[in-house]
Amino acid sequence: MSEPTIFFSEVNEKQGAFTRRAFLMGGLTGAGLLALTGRLVHLQIVEAQRYQKLAQSNQFNFRLVPPPRGLILDRNGVTLASNRPNFRLLVSRETDMDVEQTVDDLATLVPIDAKRRERLIRDIKRAPKKAPVQVMEDMSWEEFSRINVRAPELAGVTADMGEVRVYPYGGAFAHVIGYVARVNDKDIESARKAGISPDPLLYNPGFRIGRQGVEKAFDIDLRGKSGAQKQEVDARGRVVRQDPGGDIPATPGKEIRLTLDADIQNRALEVMGEESGAIVVMDCRNGDLLCMASTPSFDANRFVKGLSVPEYRALAQYERKPLLDKVMSGTYPPGSTFKPMVALAALSAGVDPDIRTNCNGSWYFGGRTWRCWGRHGAQNMHDAIKNSCDIYFYQTALKIGPDGIAAAAHAFGLGQTFDIGIPGQKKGIVGSREWKRKNFRKDKTWHPGDSVNYGIGQGYINVNPLQSAVMTARLANGVKALNPRLIKSVGGVDRPPGNAVPDLPYPKELLDYVRGGMIAVANDTSGTAFRQSQLGLGDVLMAGKTGTAQVRVFRDGESRKSAGVRWALKDHNWYIAFAPIDAPRYAISVLIEHGGLGGATAAAPRAREVMRVALLKDPELRARIEKPLPMPELDEASLAVGAAPPAPAVGAPPPITPGAPQ
Amino acid sequence: MTSGGLTRPGERDRLIVKFAEIDWTFCLILCLIAGAGGMMMFSAAPNSWEPWAAPHLIRFGVFFVMMIVLAMVDLRLWFTLAYPIYAVALILLVGVELFGDSAKGAQRWLEVGPLRFQPSEIMKIGIVLALARFYHGVSADSARFSWWLLVPLFLIGAPTLLVAHQPDLGTAILIAATGLAIMILAGLSWKVIAAGIVSVLVSIPPFIMFVLHDYQRKRVMTFLDPESDPSGSGYHILQSKIALGAGGLLGKGYGLGSQSQLDFLPEKHTDFMFATLAEEFGFAGCFSILFLYGAIIFMALRIASISHSHFGRLSTAGVTATFALYVLINGAMVMGLAPVVGVPMPLLSYGGTVMLTVMVGFGLVQSVRVHRYSEVTSGRGALM
Repeated sequence: MSEPTIFFSEVNEKQGAFTRRAFLMGGLTGAGLLALTGRLVHLQIVEAQRYQKLAQSNQFNFRLVPPPRGLILDRNGVTLASNRPNFRLLVSRETDMDVEQTVDDLATLVPIDAKRRERLIRDIKRAPKKAPVQVMEDMSWEEFSRINVRAPELAGVTADMGEVRVYPYGGAFAHVIGYVARVNDKDIESARKAGISPDPLLYNPGFRIGRQGVEKAFDIDLRGKSGAQKQEVDARGRVVRQDPGGDIPATPGKEIRLTLDADIQNRALEVMGEESGAIVVMDCRNGDLLCMASTPSFDANRFVKGLSVPEYRALAQYERKPLLDKVMSGTYPPGSTFKPMVALAALSAGVDPDIRTNCNGSWYFGGRTWRCWGRHGAQNMHDAIKNSCDIYFYQTALKIGPDGIAAAAHAFGLGQTFDIGIPGQKKGIVGSREWKRKNFRKDKTWHPGDSVNYGIGQGYINVNPLQSAVMTARLANGVKALNPRLIKSVGGVDRPPGNAVPDLPYPKELLDYVRGGMIAVANDTSGTAFRQSQLGLGDVLMAGKTGTAQVRVFRDGESRKSAGVRWALKDHNWYIAFAPIDAPRYAISVLIEHGGLGGATAAAPRAREVMRVALLKDPELRARIEKPLPMPELDEASLAVGAAPPAPAVGAPPPITPGAPQ
Repeated sequence: MTSGGLTRPGERDRLIVKFAEIDWTFCLILCLIAGAGGMMMFSAAPNSWEPWAAPHLIRFGVFFVMMIVLAMVDLRLWFTLAYPIYAVALILLVGVELFGDSAKGAQRWLEVGPLRFQPSEIMKIGIVLALARFYHGVSADSARFSWWLLVPLFLIGAPTLLVAHQPDLGTAILIAATGLAIMILAGLSWKVIAAGIVSVLVSIPPFIMFVLHDYQRKRVMTFLDPESDPSGSGYHILQSKIALGAGGLLGKGYGLGSQSQLDFLPEKHTDFMFATLAEEFGFAGCFSILFLYGAIIFMALRIASISHSHFGRLSTAGVTATFALYVLINGAMVMGLAPVVGVPMPLLSYGGTVMLTVMVGFGLVQSVRVHRYSEVTSGRGALM
C-alpha cells in the first residue's frame, strides 16, 4: 500500500490545510454568533427597560385636549361669554404626503376655492410635522360627517369637534369683556420673553388668546389647563386605538363673574341708539360697576373668527370710533358736571355759600367777555348749581384758585386710574399750578383766566366717564372714597369690594350742601334737568347735574348753539346723577359725544331711563316703589253702606259689572 | 443499511440510496427557520397569510424540492458545469450593466422574456463553483502562493466590481468575502492573508470617502452615529434596536410587537425580519434562531470535511461561508453593529432571490454529502 500514500500525499496536504482552515472558519463563525448573542444579551436583557420605554413612546402619543375656556357671567349669572361647539377640519403633514392631492380630495367634500386651495397648500407645507393646519371651521353637520366617513383613507385628515368662544350679547359687552383671537407670533414671542416656555396650547389650531378687556387681563385664569388623550399611533402618526385609561382630563378655565348687570347694560345700549358716548352705573354703597356701556360698539364674535381687512377698516375709520372704549379711554372736558367739585372746594376754602353773585349773562374779565348760558340774576351757591350759572363759578374759581379745586377733584377720583382688573384707562387731566408748571414748556404760569375756565369744567380739566361716575358715587355716598369694582369673583373667589377704603376728606355738611344743589337740579321745577329727571317711581327721586362741554373755540359773535353745525363740532353732553336722593344707591354718568343741544337735552333723559332699570331691579327699592301710597282717610260710614266701591288702583282693570252696558 | 452494502460498485448511484444519504436533520432545521420566517410574516401582515407569509412558505416548499433534486445531481456534473455557470453569470452581469432595469436607483435586475432576476445571485453560486473547480486542480504549494493565484483574484475581482457598480454593495462584499474565504480555505499563505488584511484596513477610509455613493456613505456615517439623525437614515438602526430591546427576555408575545405591528420597524418583513421576531419572542426566540443557524453552519462544514474531493470540500465550504456571512452581516446590522447594507437573513427574511441562491447552494452541499466518496477527475492545472 505504498502507491496510495504517494498518490494521496499531495491530496492529503491539500486536505490537511483545508481541515485546519475549516476549523478556523468554524471557530470564527462561532465567535461571530457568540458576539451576536452577547449583543442580544446587552440589548434584550441589560438595556431592555430603556428600549421598552422607547418603544412605548413610539407607540403612544398624547394628544392635547384643550380645556374649555372659563365662562364670563354678569352679577346675576347671566352668560356674557361662553363656548359653542365648532366642527373643524384639520390636515397635518405627513411624510411622503401629496399635499395637493389631499387638498383636491377635500375640495370634493367641502367647498375650497382656487385661492384658498393655494393658501392651504402653502400653509400645510410650511407647518411643522404633526402640527395640524385648520382647513375649515364651523362646518355643517353634513360636511362634518362626510369628512369623518372619508377620513380613514385620507392620510393626515381629521375632523374634530372643538369649541369656539361666543358672545351671546354680541357687542353689548365688547369693550369690557374684549374678545379672543388667533394666536400670532408676537404672543409666542412675548411668552418666551417672559421667560416661560409657551403653553403648548398656543400651538393648538383653533386656540384663541384673549386680546382685550377681561379676556386679555384674565387670559391665564380663563384658559385653564390642557389635558391629554392617550392614543396608540402607527409610524405614520395615524391613530390606531384610543386608550381612555391613560387620559389626563383637562382643567376647565375659571369662571369670572363681573359686577355688571346685563339688563342695565342692555338698556343703556338701547337708549344710546345711534349716539356715540358712554354710560356708567355704579353702586354708591360698594363701588360695583353695574353698567359700562360705550357706544357705538362692535360684534366681538366677528373678531373671534378673524376680521376681514375692509371690515376692520370700516370699524377703525368710522368717526364715532366703535373700537374705542369711551368709558375708560375717552377723556372729555366735564363741563358743568365739574361744578359740584368747584362748589365743594369753595365751601372747604371758607366761601360763604349764601353770598350772592349777580349774573347778567356775561362778565368782562382779563380782556375778554365770559359768557353765561343764561341771565340768572343774583345767585347764591345753591341756585348757581341748580341753574348751572357760569358767572357764579367763573368768579368763585377765580377767588379760590385752581389748587383747592384740583384737591377736590383728586379726592373724588378724577385724574387717576382705578384697579378694576382691565387695562386701558386714561388718566385725563386735573389742572393745578404745579401741574401746569410740570407739563408746560413755555407758559408755565397759571393765569387767572385758566381758573375762570376751570370753574365751569373747561380748559385744563379732562375726565373719562368712569371717573365721572366714581365722582358721582363718592358724592352720593358722602362718606367713603369708593373705588369701582368690575370683577366680582374669579373662579368663585370674591374680589375685595370697593368700599374698604378711607373716608373722603370733606365734612358731611359740605357734601350735603352740594348734594342739595344737585337735588334741586333734578327736582326743583326751575332746575336745569327737572323735566328729564322725573323717574315716575313714587317717592324715589333722583339728583343730578347737567354738563355741556365745548369742543371748539368760538369767535366773537359766532353762535354758540350746537344746532345746525357739523356733528364733530357739536358740544358734548353730560349728565351725572344718583338716586334715591334720601339714601343713594346708584350713581350714573352719561356722556353723549357731540350730542343734543346742551343742558339736559341728550344725556339726562337717557340717564333717567337707565336709572329706572337699576332702581326697579333692586328688590328693596322695588318694594319701596310698589308700596301703595298712603290713602286718604275713608269715610267709614260709606264703606259700611257699600254705596260706592273704593277707587281702583291705578292701572288695575276696571271691575266688571255684570249686565252693565260696555 | 450496512456499510458493506454500500461498498458494492454502483450501489451508491441508486436513487434511493442517494435519497437516504441526504442529511435530513439539516433539512429539518432549514424548514424550522423558514417556518419561523413564515410565522413572523403572518404576524406582521398583521394576522394574514397575504402578502408575505403564504408566498414565502410556498416558495420555500418549491425550493426545498429543488434542493433535493439538486442533491441527486452527480457531483461530477457540478464539477463539469462549474466554469460554464460562472461564465454565464459573468456575462449576465455585463448584460445588467448594459441593459439592466433599474429599481430604487440601482441596476440589479435583468429581464429575459417573463423572467426577471438578479444575475448577482447566480454569481454567488458561480464564484463558489469556479473557485472550487480551480483549486481542485491546483497543488497545495500553488494554492499557498504562486502566480496561479492571479486567476482566482480575477475570478473574484470581475464580478465584485460589476456588482459594486450596480451599485449593490452588500452583494459585492458578499461575493468578494466568499471568494476570499475559499482562497483562505484552499491554503493561501498566512503572510499573504496578513498583507491583504493590512492593505484592506488601510484602504477602507479612502474607499468610504471617494468610492461610495452618497446614500451608501450616508448609511455608513449614520451607522457610526445613529442617533445623529433619528428620523432619517439612523431611523432604521434605531427602530431596529428598539424592537430588539423592547422584546426583552421572552418577548412581547406573538402578534403583540408594537414596533412591527405599527410599522415603526422599516422593512420589517425583509431585512429586519430578525428584529420582528426579536420583539415578539425576545432573547429566547433570538437565541433559538441563532442556534439553528449555527447548527446549519457546523453541519455544512462537517459535510465539507468528510468529502473525498477537494472540489466538494471547497464548494461546500464556500456555500457555508456565503450563508454564514449572510447571517452574521444581517445579525450585526439588525443589532446596530454594522451599517444597513441590504443583506437579508437567509430563509427567515421574505424575498425569493436570496432564498433561491441559498437553497441552490444547499442543494450543492447535499450533493457533496451524497457523493462524498465519488472520485472527481484531478484536472490538475487545467482550467477546464
